[in-house]
This record gives sequence, C-alpha cells and structure tokens, in this order.
Amino acid sequence: MARIELDSVTKRFSDGTVAVNSLDLTVGDGELLVLVGPSGCGKTTALRMVAGLEEVTSGTISIDGLPVNNVEPRHRDIAMVFQSYALYPHLSVYENMAFSLKYRKIAKSEIKSRVAEAARVLELEPYLERKPRQLSGGQRQRVAMGRAIVRQPRAFLMDEPLSNLDAKLRVQMRAEIGQLQRSLGVTTIYVTHDQTEAMTLGTKVAVISGGVLQQVAAPQDLYRRPANLFVAGFIGSPPMNLIDARLERADAGPGGTLGPEVVFGPHRLRIPASVLAEHPGLDRYLGKEIVLGIRPEHLTDASLVGTSDGGSVIDLPIKLREELGSEVHVHGAIGEAAHVGADGSDDVHSLASLVARMDPRTKIAVGDTAPVAVDADHLHFFDRDTGASIRR
Amino acid sequence: MVIPRRLSTWGLFAAMIVVAVIMLYPFWYMIDNAFRNGGQFDRQSGHSFAGWHQLFANLPVAGQLLNSTLVCAAAIVIILAVSTTAGFAFAKLQYRGSGTIFLLVVSALMVPLQSIIIPEYVNLAKFNLTNSYAGAVLVYAALGTPFATFLMATYYRGISDELIEAAVMDGLGYERTFLNIALPLSLPAIATVTVLQFIQIWDDLLVGLLFLPANQRTITVGLATLSAGRTTSIPALMAGSIVSAIPAIIVYLIFQRHLIKGLTLGMGR
Repeated sequence: MARIELDSVTKRFSDGTVAVNSLDLTVGDGELLVLVGPSGCGKTTALRMVAGLEEVTSGTISIDGLPVNNVEPRHRDIAMVFQSYALYPHLSVYENMAFSLKYRKIAKSEIKSRVAEAARVLELEPYLERKPRQLSGGQRQRVAMGRAIVRQPRAFLMDEPLSNLDAKLRVQMRAEIGQLQRSLGVTTIYVTHDQTEAMTLGTKVAVISGGVLQQVAAPQDLYRRPANLFVAGFIGSPPMNLIDARLERADAGPGGTLGPEVVFGPHRLRIPASVLAEHPGLDRYLGKEIVLGIRPEHLTDASLVGTSDGGSVIDLPIKLREELGSEVHVHGAIGEAAHVGADGSDDVHSLASLVARMDPRTKIAVGDTAPVAVDADHLHFFDRDTGASIRR
Repeated sequence: MVIPRRLSTWGLFAAMIVVAVIMLYPFWYMIDNAFRNGGQFDRQSGHSFAGWHQLFANLPVAGQLLNSTLVCAAAIVIILAVSTTAGFAFAKLQYRGSGTIFLLVVSALMVPLQSIIIPEYVNLAKFNLTNSYAGAVLVYAALGTPFATFLMATYYRGISDELIEAAVMDGLGYERTFLNIALPLSLPAIATVTVLQFIQIWDDLLVGLLFLPANQRTITVGLATLSAGRTTSIPALMAGSIVSAIPAIIVYLIFQRHLIKGLTLGMGR
C-alpha cells in the first residue's frame, strides 16, 4: 500500500508540447483516484510518469514520501494494466500471471499459490493453460488484472483498461474492478475518458484538460459543485445546460422580497434565498453577464410536478423528444440566449437550447410550447470571463 | 461483358498452371538429365547412373557439403546475433541518432558485392584471414547483416510498445525483455532471415571461390569446378545440383511452419 504524490509535475516533450502542466495530486493509501479527461488531455502521460515509463520534465513524484523521479520502473513496485492488455502472446495464462514473480525470484510454491488465488478470484481457473489468443476480450482483460494482482504491488496503475470491451462487458468489468480494488485495498490510479467509469469507480476523481488539473474531488462533489465550466460540461450525461445569462435585481415578488433574478433570453428565474446564501459571490455580479448552468434533471414537466411557484417555470418551445425508456430527453429552444461550449466559448454550431431529463410519463410533444419547471435550488453560476464557478 | 464466375476460375487455374510449368520445368530438366550419360543427354533418350558416378568420382561431395554447412551455419549465427539485437535497438530503444544509423545500415544494402570484393580481400588478407573458413564466414556475415537488420527492425516495430513496457513494469531490464519477450516473438522473422540467408550463402560462388582454399571449398564452388575443364559433363553437373539443392529444401521445410504462422496473434485486444 502506498501514498502517491505529484508535486508540480510537468511533462514537456522534445517538440515543445506540454502534455502535463504543473500537476498537483495526492492519492491516499488505498484510494482509487480516477484521472478523467478528453483524448489528448495528458492523463495517460501523467500515469506513465508515475509508472516511470516517461521521464518527468520538472516537479516531483513521490511514493510514500520518497521521490521516485530517478527510480527505474521495475524498482517502483507498481503494477500496470495497459489499454491493449499487453499479454505475452507466446506464454500461457498461467505463465503470463507468473511471469514477473519468476523474475523476482519468488519461490515456485508461492508463485503457484498466488496465481491460483488470483485465478480463483478472477474466475480464470479453467483457462490457465490457454494462450491469450484463445481467450475472449473479457478474459484477456482479467488475465491483465491477474498479472497485476499476483505481484501484490504497492499500487496499481490502469490505463483505460475497459476501452476495448463492448458496452455490456464494460459495465460488468467496471463493477468487478471496483469490487476487487476495494477488497484488496491497493492504492490505484485509473485513467479513463469515460465519465461514467470515473464517477462509478473513483474514491476521488481528477478532471484534466489541456494538461491542467481542473478539479479533484469526490464524484458527488464534482457533480454537485463543478469548479469551472469545463468540469460542469464534462461531467454528467447529458451535459449540464450552460447558457449566457444576466444577473438582475428583481422587482418585489409576491412576498414583497427583493432578490436577484437570472435572465436568459425571454426567461427570468428567481434565485432562492438558500442558493444566494450558498453563493455569496453572486452579489458582485449584479447587472453583469454570467453563465448559468442547469442540470438536465433539474428541468421537469411542470404539469407533472404541479409547481405553484411561477418564478421557476419557463415556457419552452419543444424541438426534439428522445425516448430512452426509463427517461425522456426533451430539447427546448431558449430564444436568443447563446449556448455556451464547455470551454466557455459561444457554441455557434448548436442552436440555443436546453435539454431536460424528464419522467417518461410526460406528454410534452415536439411543437408544443410546454411549461418546464426549473429546480432553482440547484442552479450553477460561472464567471463569463474566467469560467470559474461563482461561489464566494 | 460479364465473365461467368466458373469461367474466370478456370481461366485463373490455366494461368497458374502455365506459371507452375515455367517454374517447375528447370527442376524437371535437372532431375531428368541427372540420370543420363553423355550420349543419352545428347540424344535426350535413355537413363543411367553414369552422371552420379562421375560426380562422386570427381568431387569430394560429402566434404564439400560439410564445408557449405559449416560456413552457412557460422555466418547465419553471426547474422542473427547482430540483426536481432540491432533490430530491437533500432525499433524499441530511443536514442539520439538512431534514425541516421539505421539509414546507414540500410544504405549498405545498395552496395553490390562485386564492387567491394577486392577491398574486402585486401582487408582480410591484412588480418591473415584469407584461405580460411573465418574469412568467408565474416564476409558472408557482413554482406547478410544489413538486410537481416532491416527485416528484424521492421518486425520489432510491429510488436506493440506496450508489450515491451509491460515487461519493463514486470521487472525486466531491456536485456531480459529482449531475450524473454522480443526474441521468442520474432521467431517468424528469425526463420525468414535464416532461410533467405541460407539460400544466398549456400548458392554463392564468388566469395567461396576467393576466400576458401581448395580443401575447404563449398559445394557450389565444387560444382563450378566441374565445368571448368575442357569438357563439361552436364549429367554430373545436374546430379551435383540436386545434391546441392536438397539441404536448401530441408531448411525451408524445417522453418516453413514459422514462416507462415504469425506468433503475435492474441497479444492485444
């Protein structure tokens, strides 16, 4: 077991590309940290630096407090599961799993018992004599896991280990990896571009974009309190609706209270006092442009929920209805307000619209102008210029 | 016009039969005429073992076969030792100037043997290596290594980097990764190099003629001496050619399995 720390770690390739820029991360003993981000964001490079397969340009990587920048991969006592599994094709499943133990001069009887135990846990017992080419994708993936487990290393590194599996098997293996990691309690860094994998597996999730760490937090925190526009747009499916809006002082409401409203297109939403208390920084933005974020599940069919709060219902012309069985995705036009891309730029390609994740009982149809209730308790606000979440 | 599938299949067969006949005719000619005497060869009728008697009477066939085998084996061992390690280094190790060095090695492929044979002879004579197995073996190894290195490097490039990295993570240094992972996986390429180099060295006349003394001549050089006199016995020459071809066929049959079978199946997804 180990604690892995990355302190201002930077990787600059010889052509000048900065793949990882001043990355600070701590993976606690027994934790599973998921590095997630789009392709080319530097997450695999960061993992390879921890493995020792890539040199660190600047900064320090420490394992249990000891810097390992100049320690060879084989002396770091870390096991890695590769995207392609990288099984030795000329060796049997047993030999693949026993391979590293053999070269670490571990007693034959010990090797046998460790491989047998891993094979039992991974349900590979019937295949021990087979060559990798005689196995299915899922079985190969298990062998790759087994090869890492038998070593009983200080940490596991996993580089998109499920990306070559079909959707069904991926869900199954995802659960198995999570279960295995929890039962073994080995510190793990797991790289993926799949946010579902990140959210379901990680004790902590680190979102990376352009080689820069955007946010590291527990999955629910990441979802509920995204630090910036990138995280807000990246985590969640369908992604959070991000709309250009303006913060204005409201007229006296029915209760005679005065408070800011968020205005986008022809719509006005009253910001509840509880939200204002949570976002004291909003005061500074009165009369200014901001980016408003609304999760699709916080937009519901007003006729189903029967809300009486007129301040949080907007009328949306419906453009598209997607049936998913357990839910319905409804796309509504929001008039002139621009839709904001995940990087903060105006997304000129998509029409200004909102996606709502609704109960399948909704009768809303394409062409309707439907009353949609906004759960104003869960609004998100971002600085238009910096993209940072507005809180304090 | 649409050609019916059956007709086009027959057309293809006919074309393949023509090519096969062109390829096999020399073998048939060699076998047919090995079993004749001079008169039978002139008339192209009748068969006898006279050509074989003549061959064994004029040439130390067994000794020359052994010489050929020794020279071939030694040169191929050197070629394999150099080309597998160099190919692995070119394909999998990152170091400054590796591309330039690889180009230099490959450019050696463009140099014809005839143009360097005199300087080679002078060089080896300085080291007192002419008139010996060692001289011929070194020349063969030097001539065969560039192509073999090119072939091995190309093959190693096809092996996933992740496989090599997996071995490194499993605790192996580059030496052991090469010996335990890369080398076993490159058996098909090793088989290809072995067969190609064997045929090339076994069939070579020039180097054998220049660098080997009479008592260490290879079978190919021996066969050439058969036709060096005033008269040439074609049946004896054909019989000698059969003897000379048999080892090459055996080597091919031994390595054929690896030439065809790809060992890299199943290493990834």
